[in-house]
Amino acid sequence: MSNKTKANRILRHPVSNRVVHWLTAFSIVMLIITGLGQLPLYGRYLLVQPPGTQWLTNYEATLLVHYIFAILLLFIVTYHLIYHLIRKEFDILPRKGDVKGSIAILKAMILRKKEPPSDKYLPEQRLTYAYFFVAIGLAVVTGVIKVIKNVIGVQASDGVLLWAAQLHNLATVLIIVGVIMHLGAFIVKENRKLLSGMFTGYVDKHYVKERHTHWYKRIKHKDKKFDV
Amino acid sequence: MTHKNEFEVQEKLPAKSVTRRSFLKGATAISAAASVAWATKSTASAQQDFSEEEKLVASIIDLNACDGCENEPTPLCVTACKDKNKHRFPQPEEEPMDYWPRQHHEDWSKEQDRTDRLTPYNWTYVEQVTVNHNGQEKTISIPRRCMHCLDAPCQNLCPFGVIGKTEEGAVHIDEYFCMGGAKCRDSCPWDIPQRQAGVGVYMDLMPKLGGGGVMYKCDMCADYLKEGKAPACETACPKDAIQFGPLDEMRKKAYELASERNGYVYGDTENAGTLTFYISDIPFDQINEAIAASKHQDQDERPGRPHMEPDIENMLDTAKGFMLATLIAPVAGAAAAGVNAYRKLKSYDDTKIRKDVSYDE
Repeated sequence: MSNKTKANRILRHPVSNRVVHWLTAFSIVMLIITGLGQLPLYGRYLLVQPPGTQWLTNYEATLLVHYIFAILLLFIVTYHLIYHLIRKEFDILPRKGDVKGSIAILKAMILRKKEPPSDKYLPEQRLTYAYFFVAIGLAVVTGVIKVIKNVIGVQASDGVLLWAAQLHNLATVLIIVGVIMHLGAFIVKENRKLLSGMFTGYVDKHYVKERHTHWYKRIKHKDKKFDV
Repeated sequence: MTHKNEFEVQEKLPAKSVTRRSFLKGATAISAAASVAWATKSTASAQQDFSEEEKLVASIIDLNACDGCENEPTPLCVTACKDKNKHRFPQPEEEPMDYWPRQHHEDWSKEQDRTDRLTPYNWTYVEQVTVNHNGQEKTISIPRRCMHCLDAPCQNLCPFGVIGKTEEGAVHIDEYFCMGGAKCRDSCPWDIPQRQAGVGVYMDLMPKLGGGGVMYKCDMCADYLKEGKAPACETACPKDAIQFGPLDEMRKKAYELASERNGYVYGDTENAGTLTFYISDIPFDQINEAIAASKHQDQDERPGRPHMEPDIENMLDTAKGFMLATLIAPVAGAAAAGVNAYRKLKSYDDTKIRKDVSYDE
């Protein structure tokens, strides 16, 4: 259990990141569940209605719950963007060469060779972030339009109604695909070492040194500079 | 609208007072414009809203005048509607499949001649009920069809955005792209749109697994209105019981007629406002009870014979507080981020967190 000691762990995700991640995850799951109810799917496909899920076939109920989690998501998304913008933390933004880098890592995994060293985030993590940024961004923008057009007294044009609905549905599909990809990444054993980061905040130091070598060097250099 | 000219030469409307609706509309438009820059009719200036409202066409259905065409086999408005729209009626090419995994589907193709309810082949019908009012039994004939709501939940909630509204306010379903999920019927307080399986775009996609057909309903003869012509039901009515005209004019006239007869108006406040005003000497709650009793007697639970429940609410009205919350959420998120980031910038040093880490060389 020596790797659990503070000396052998490195903080990867402070509380703020973890709260943002889990609240985003929870709100997105609830938005998908209630959104599918709005499509409508449950009345037709849920042959057996599990106890406590009757509300899912009620449009009024699913709409209200959808709104509640949309408000939570809007809060979290804005918080996340502004927080990292102020702190100038851009580690997760895609960089030039990330597609090539992702392929190189994939190749190394398949051929069981040593991976090229990574920064705090792997190139594919940065690309996944960009993917979610586009998908969630599209869902948020079209979602806000959909909320406004539902207000009594507001009459949206046919074009706005059509495109807001179609793009919101597209964003939902993109997000579902993204969540599957995100969870699917943990099929790869090497990636599972990142899991603790999103629960406790810490990841194993040796793992960081081996895989996220650039990041390791950076924080080591920084800490030495401050003579820690 | 009894004469074509009424549409061609519209009278100048009287100066508009600020009604609750126009106030709400203006206020919402301002908030919407401030929050999201999007091109809708709502975000335009109040002046534009007014001019757009002036284009809206409403109708009066006078239940005192309508006798259900008692000497005709079918009410003439119903026949005229069927004749006018028959080229648009669904024609399934094969026996429609069940809605998997359910073991049913909605098929009216074998009952295309039915005129006693709303079906995909019958977009208006006349409900006849007997009401005991002031000790007298009275039979009332009630032409029913889409009310063409001002804030149509069917249009707002269509998950594919394929329900449109014309400048005149006619709510219409795009029958080529409708998937037939029937959400429009479920969100309509009167269950107006009716579904036919085995037709529509879902037949080209996954007819077994998804989609349910196409929803059909009255479109206020939108093509006729565009040409300045009266809808077919109005032209066919021998009793002038159905009358179309500019919204303000029709609303005013409906209340005047109701007031003269000490009667009632239905449709102005229901579902947050519609473009159809029924006027009757008999209170609508009694008519509603009579419809319910008639359906109960016929053991008729299928949609297609709408109620007349007074003051029925628009289901989207319950969500009115959420717009403000949606607009506040990003502001609150930004404020929380600012406070937290500032606090961390002032006091936070990540090197302190790693003070126990012993780095390998």
